[in-house]
Amino acid sequence: MGNDDKLIASLEAFLNNDVETLKGNIEKLIKDYSRKSRRLDKIIHQSDKQQRELLELNEELERTYAELDEYKNHLEEKVEEGISEIKGLNVEIEETQKEVVFTMGAIGESRSKETGNHVKRVAEYSKILALACGMDEDEAEMLKQASPMHDIGKIAIPDAILNKPGRFDEDEFEHMKRHAELGYEMLRHSPRTLLKAAATVAYEHHEKWAGGGYPRNIQGEDIHIYGRITAVADVFDALGSDRCYKKAWDDEKIFALFKEERGKQFDPKLIDLFFENLNAILDVREKYRDLFTETPLNG
Amino acid sequence: MNNLTIKASKYTPAIELNAETNTLTISGKSYPENTFDFYAPVITWLQEYFSSDTVEKTTLNMDIIYFNSSSSKLFFDLFDLLEEAQDGGKEITVNWYYDEENESAEEAGEDFKEDFEEMDFNIIKK
Repeated sequence: MGNDDKLIASLEAFLNNDVETLKGNIEKLIKDYSRKSRRLDKIIHQSDKQQRELLELNEELERTYAELDEYKNHLEEKVEEGISEIKGLNVEIEETQKEVVFTMGAIGESRSKETGNHVKRVAEYSKILALACGMDEDEAEMLKQASPMHDIGKIAIPDAILNKPGRFDEDEFEHMKRHAELGYEMLRHSPRTLLKAAATVAYEHHEKWAGGGYPRNIQGEDIHIYGRITAVADVFDALGSDRCYKKAWDDEKIFALFKEERGKQFDPKLIDLFFENLNAILDVREKYRDLFTETPLNG
Repeated sequence: MNNLTIKASKYTPAIELNAETNTLTISGKSYPENTFDFYAPVITWLQEYFSSDTVEKTTLNMDIIYFNSSSSKLFFDLFDLLEEAQDGGKEITVNWYYDEENESAEEAGEDFKEDFEEMDFNIIKK
């Protein structure tokens, strides 16, 4: 029976002067009222409790977010630190590699009393020619680093031959020629692209475009472009420098030889590119010109 | 009679009222936008269910994580309905489930049990 019904029944009982029924109904109403009132208290209490719990959860969530935020910021810092450290190490590795390569080249040169600047100039000439013949920057840069090692095989040639003033006899020349293959043997086992390129340069920088070079007497495009480029760069620099067995040639004489040897000793396309880029090449020669011809390493 | 199934949503519980197994289940959160509209079909279904003579032992399983105050009011009404049915001779069991970490759900169960002292009202830790 609903409350309205109970009220109506109570009213009827009152009107009929039915005291017992009235009393019973009113008792029921009071009991019902107090039960409902207790329920209301409970509902309010439950609601309060849940609100407090949710508030606590929310606070916990905010704390977690704050921690996460701090962690994130910290992480970004750490990552940045790590990246700059790696960058530093990379630069260090690259610089070390370049230095090792130059030093190796310079060792070869120093044995024959040539100067360390020779390898620097050959490196720069090689890069100019590499870019001129269409190589991309990365590959040209690699050849620049590899070409100084072209004479590394000379470290295995006895001093008596290497530094002999005047011309070699036939035996001595045969001995001297072995430096190409020796250099190749030293470098070819490396899996590094740079050292592989250096091996090719060492092996093929004395080959001639029309044949007749050494050690394999190959010709034309069978000679790797690295070898052909380094040949031009090396000969240009060698002719222009004083050596133990000769004085430096003047430029006109060198250019005349290059024109003469275009398509014979040298790749004709590279000779054309050499003259097209002559200003840049002469700038390099000026920048790295030899100050002390007797400097032992790259001085 | 047909069973009544209402799928859970983000703010409302899953409801399964099964007249064949005589099992009523309400589980999840209860924050309907309009609580009385949401539960109206449940109340109607129960009234019809209990009006049938064949109904004997009925079990109501409630597993409510959080609920708003109007849901609480409605649960009292729901238990009133069950109490009336019990007074009318039906056998009723209510199982109120709560998670150990959910103190408010446990306390709410105690509140309901206290109000319906004549009923077989079990508070069960999950």
